[in-house]
Amino acid sequence: MSETIERLAPASAEELAALLASCDRDRRAVSVDGAGTLRGIGLPAQAGDLHVSTAKLKAMLAHEHADLTASVQCGMSLRAFSDALAAYDQFVPLDAPLRKKATVGGTLAAGWGGPRRHLFGRTRDYVIGSRIALADGTLANAGGMVVKNVTGYDMSKLYVGSCGTLGVLVSVNLKTLPAPKASRGFHHPLPLDSRPRAFAQLQSMTATPAAAFWIEGFAKEFGGHDGDDGRLFVLMQGSDAFLDRATRDLRSGLGKAGVPETHVVDAGANEAFERLCDAYVATVDERSITYRSAGDPSDVEGRALAMRALARRFELRADSICDVMNGDAILRVSDPDARGFTAKIEIFDDALHDDVPDAQVIAGDFAGRSNLNVWGAPPAAIDKMRALKLRFDPNGTLNPGRFVGGI
Amino acid sequence: MLAERLADALGADAVKTAPEDLAVYAFDAYSESRLPAAVVLPTSARDVAAIVRLARACGEPIVARGAGTGLCGGAIPAAGGVVVSFARMNRLLELDPRNRRARVQPGLINLDLSKKVAGAGLFYAPDPSSQKACTIGGNIGTNAGGPHCLTYGTTVNHVLALELVDDTGEVYTTSLDDAGYDLTGALVGSEGTLGIVTSAWVRLLRLPEATRVWVATFGDVEAASEAVSAIVGHGIVPTALEMMDGLMIRTVEAAFHSGFPVDAEALLLIENAGFEDDMDDCERAIEKICKANGGLTWRTARSQAERDGLWAARKGAFGAAGRIAPNTYLQDVVVPRTKLPKMLKLVDEAAAAHDLTIGNVFHAGDGNLHPLIMYDKRDKRQVAAVVDAGDQILSAAVDLGGTISGEHGIGFEKRDTLARIFDDADIDTMLRLRDVFDTGRRFNPDKIFPRGASCAELRP
Ligand SMILES: Cc1cc2nc3c(=O)[nH]c(=O)nc-3n(C[C@H](O)[C@H](O)[C@H](O)COP(=O)(O)OP(=O)(O)OC[C@H]3O[C@@H](n4cnc5c(N)ncnc54)[C@H](O)[C@@H]3O)c2cc1C
Repeated sequence: MSETIERLAPASAEELAALLASCDRDRRAVSVDGAGTLRGIGLPAQAGDLHVSTAKLKAMLAHEHADLTASVQCGMSLRAFSDALAAYDQFVPLDAPLRKKATVGGTLAAGWGGPRRHLFGRTRDYVIGSRIALADGTLANAGGMVVKNVTGYDMSKLYVGSCGTLGVLVSVNLKTLPAPKASRGFHHPLPLDSRPRAFAQLQSMTATPAAAFWIEGFAKEFGGHDGDDGRLFVLMQGSDAFLDRATRDLRSGLGKAGVPETHVVDAGANEAFERLCDAYVATVDERSITYRSAGDPSDVEGRALAMRALARRFELRADSICDVMNGDAILRVSDPDARGFTAKIEIFDDALHDDVPDAQVIAGDFAGRSNLNVWGAPPAAIDKMRALKLRFDPNGTLNPGRFVGGI
Repeated sequence: MLAERLADALGADAVKTAPEDLAVYAFDAYSESRLPAAVVLPTSARDVAAIVRLARACGEPIVARGAGTGLCGGAIPAAGGVVVSFARMNRLLELDPRNRRARVQPGLINLDLSKKVAGAGLFYAPDPSSQKACTIGGNIGTNAGGPHCLTYGTTVNHVLALELVDDTGEVYTTSLDDAGYDLTGALVGSEGTLGIVTSAWVRLLRLPEATRVWVATFGDVEAASEAVSAIVGHGIVPTALEMMDGLMIRTVEAAFHSGFPVDAEALLLIENAGFEDDMDDCERAIEKICKANGGLTWRTARSQAERDGLWAARKGAFGAAGRIAPNTYLQDVVVPRTKLPKMLKLVDEAAAAHDLTIGNVFHAGDGNLHPLIMYDKRDKRQVAAVVDAGDQILSAAVDLGGTISGEHGIGFEKRDTLARIFDDADIDTMLRLRDVFDTGRRFNPDKIFPRGASCAELRP
């Protein structure tokens, strides 16, 4: 990791804005972070940057529980935020790793897409308003505190997922949902050749799983025993009546796919889900890189298999998670030998992008990360994105060089 | 001349300049009209690119148009300029049932999409009341909502990728799967000011296994809105939660005969779609809350035909208002849901203060009100009163922490009220976005932004 010289945690939006403005005037680059749990996304900050953290901006500004809305400062941890909502049986499906530390703002800025998004929608769909500090010190609002709003452009859409390159999110307004009444987790070792049919069953269930994963490896992070073809973890959430029905349907569906055994957990289902979310960014010392390829659910199995096969070809250890419902394939490659890892990873990275052009790096404290294609294939509209960056941050003050296409 | 050059490029049949043709495109569902210089009907993205290049060369503005059902003047032409109508780009291009998505041309009518994919057990969720006429392109332009957006979300939640033509006439694409900024999300709802959509991948949902529709009646709209707040406050978010006041119940019933109780002063039309196993509990819970909040009667629709009838009546409500007033003005504001009772009182006060009749039929679950002001445009006093009353309602919503448009858009109608919600710095961020996509302000000028809002004037 690169050295940063100075770290500051402003205590108010105004202080933060003033700090950005002064850096912008002095042509000093600023790197922005929440808790750093998703620091594996994008390129590392440059040495010499001023490091600004939102850690002190962590107040719940409002929870209008009867309106199902909340306004929260961006440095609040996901855990603190979800605990506050849970007191009123509400939640927002942010589903990012390391919730105890991860911040609301960091999760949104990184554009994290959780495994329940096929059911509840994307994280950005929950953002009904935002306040942002721009590089020139402007504080600007977008949206509002209502759940439906077409008043002007929805600027929050741009800020979510911008990795702090357009401005620093200070606070966000979110719409909340009634929390599911109950959760149930299902662990299945997968017998040989059952996977394609199991995937098809899961993807077509009327009693839709809240999340469903095919996992191989990640034994330390997630536990459980692989069958011949790895294992499944399925999370069902809803009323008791729904869970009864979902349990029946899942047994019969997976039974047809040749997956007989079911280990069911009620207590601990949500914790297991959280552990799995954590595994997305779990690293093996400084000898691992984790990739994510987002694509269609219909071909996720093929992509995941291709990624694993490639790791094997390079004699890298492969741990993988496949999000069956959304089509994300996650692959962590590592090597017990640091030198071996360093020697292989760059050619592996090239080969991987030949097969899976969109694969992005999401975790790994590996020192040579800057030499990898961490963002995958550049987006079709990269020129527009560059122009946007230039218009919001003409001096390139905010997180320079860390984003897509060198933005 | 632009029209001739367009005809050379696209064929004479694609370009309309006869006065009687232009007159048709001078309107949308807002009250003003302006004539375009030419109307063009492209059949491909390539055509649209050619139109943009030619219009640019001639210095003419460009206004994209779907079905022209927009209520804020978004599709009325700029002074002269070219209107690009998508009437000939109305096809479903691809259906991918396994991944539940479809690629469509912008002129495809909203309801036609759901009809075309029903065979695959799928539907397109955003359902504006105008869905029999309005287009997906127009819906993308306005980020349209509809009764069922309460749980499913508005158009922006259902657009996965876009193909657009930019202000230089280049065709490009954006996708939620792409790395980088979420341009797709920012472009939806931009009312044709950032580019012209030539196709879109949209998300489809599986048809629900079970659907129930209920009608609860109340003694007045305050009681009904207390019930709405209580339902949401209890953590129940049904698929749709719509309210109608006594005037609108009787108006709608006279037109549709779908069995709404004409002696009720307010009703809630509630739908829940999902799993059969959850339905009884859900019904009991909502019914109980309605009773506890002054609910008078409760009815469960027994058949698909009955459910369809209730929805047809609800979605036809604004049209039916033509029976009781020569002209209507439909306001669109949003308040936090707990402020509904208060807001409805303020709507009543606005009606009384201006001696006008105002009907209410709206998306109560979202806090999205649609006060429908009745008037006769031949009566000058009434016309002035409508403008004042509309403004009073707008201010009331803002004062309650709400906003000036929930789904119809800002367009021409509300451009000068944008500053009641956003200050110069906020609006300036929007103009920065606009600078990137429409440097020369060619796309739908005079919309959304307050008169005189240019970067130079706003920035110190
Ligand atoms: C009776 C009635 C009921 C209604 N109910 C609802 C409702 O429940 N919910 C709701 O949200 N709205 C409702 N509306 C408003 C209207 O139907 C919506 O705004 C709809 O989205 C407009 O679609 P359209 O095809 O008519 O678009 P138009 O009115 O033609 O255009 C709307 C906007 O989109 C832009 N546009 C059109 N096509 C493109 C394109 N290809 N690329 C870029 N921009 C484009 C236009 O420039 C314009 O700014 C209702 C209207 C009526 C008359």
